[in-house]
Amino acid sequence: MSDIDPRLLEILVCPVTKKPLRYDRATQELISEAGKLAFPIRDGIPIMLVDEARKLDG
Amino acid sequence: MTAPEIFDRSLVRARRERAAAGFADFSFLYDEVSARLVERLELIQRSFPRSLVLGARTGGMAAGLAGRFGIETLVQAESASGMLRHCQGRRVVADEEWLPFADAAFDLVVSPISLHTTNDLPGALTQIRRVLKPDGLFLGALFGVGTLAPLRDAFLAAEASLGVGSSPHVAPFTEVRDAGALLQRAGFALPVADAEPITVTYQNPMRLLADLRGMGEGNVLANRGRQSLRRDVLMATVRQLVDQTIPFEIVFMAGWAPDDGQQQPLARGSGQVSLAAILGKDRS
Repeated sequence: MSDIDPRLLEILVCPVTKKPLRYDRATQELISEAGKLAFPIRDGIPIMLVDEARKLDG
Repeated sequence: MTAPEIFDRSLVRARRERAAAGFADFSFLYDEVSARLVERLELIQRSFPRSLVLGARTGGMAAGLAGRFGIETLVQAESASGMLRHCQGRRVVADEEWLPFADAAFDLVVSPISLHTTNDLPGALTQIRRVLKPDGLFLGALFGVGTLAPLRDAFLAAEASLGVGSSPHVAPFTEVRDAGALLQRAGFALPVADAEPITVTYQNPMRLLADLRGMGEGNVLANRGRQSLRRDVLMATVRQLVDQTIPFEIVFMAGWAPDDGQQQPLARGSGQVSLAAILGKDRS
């Protein structure tokens, strides 16, 4: 499992809310709390597409 | 206000995904435009430490930028993950209509023929301006209005001659004058738009259709015909295009994120010299 590039992490935001993301190393996801979306990271590449994101409850 | 859906965005992505594996054989247009964008950058005496390629495909544009123009951090964004797998370095799967980057994250955004399938081009340009630092540069290329005109005409003529209702096969493309206005509307300073033609002649027009597919540029219109293309329509279309020159009009756009240090117009009425004096006309 390749870790996400820290420089990339600094500039990525939620594509919907434009709010910061939380990196969940265990699940390899970028979590948008405001957007209630979890964007997957595959092979170190963040997939910042709403269609591909996991919807978070609540 | 939501933009009308002209393009089927998930189909745009699907077509690019399908084209990813064999893109190297069909990248000539993309490579040519990328090279011209690099030439344009060479004319600008600036360094761009943090740069973004929007519509990176398999990394050709980034290869032309890497290690040049003062670039320290280069990010490649592309909607098709299959394309990005061929790229090296920092990569993000992203939709041009939903940019996932923080405000003022970049000194430069370069977009080689990618924005022509956005439903909301003004919105996409506004988002690009937002991710640029003040005095950051956007340099983009997209298909202009003359692109594939003979193909559009041939389809229409073929459908008319066979008594088939016409359905749209070729997308509407941007006018140069609109491109400049759109940049301005999106809040860019010093906007410039111009067009350069690139023409390709096909002895066998079936190759044109194969090329478009190979580039990932097949029909992505939301209101395209739902039935597959009839063979007789295809044949009648292709027959008209033998040895025809097919134009791709590339509209180049450049604009700067506003900054106080840029040249500004003087306030109205602040002029010190009469226009009549300059023109040497005595109008009294």
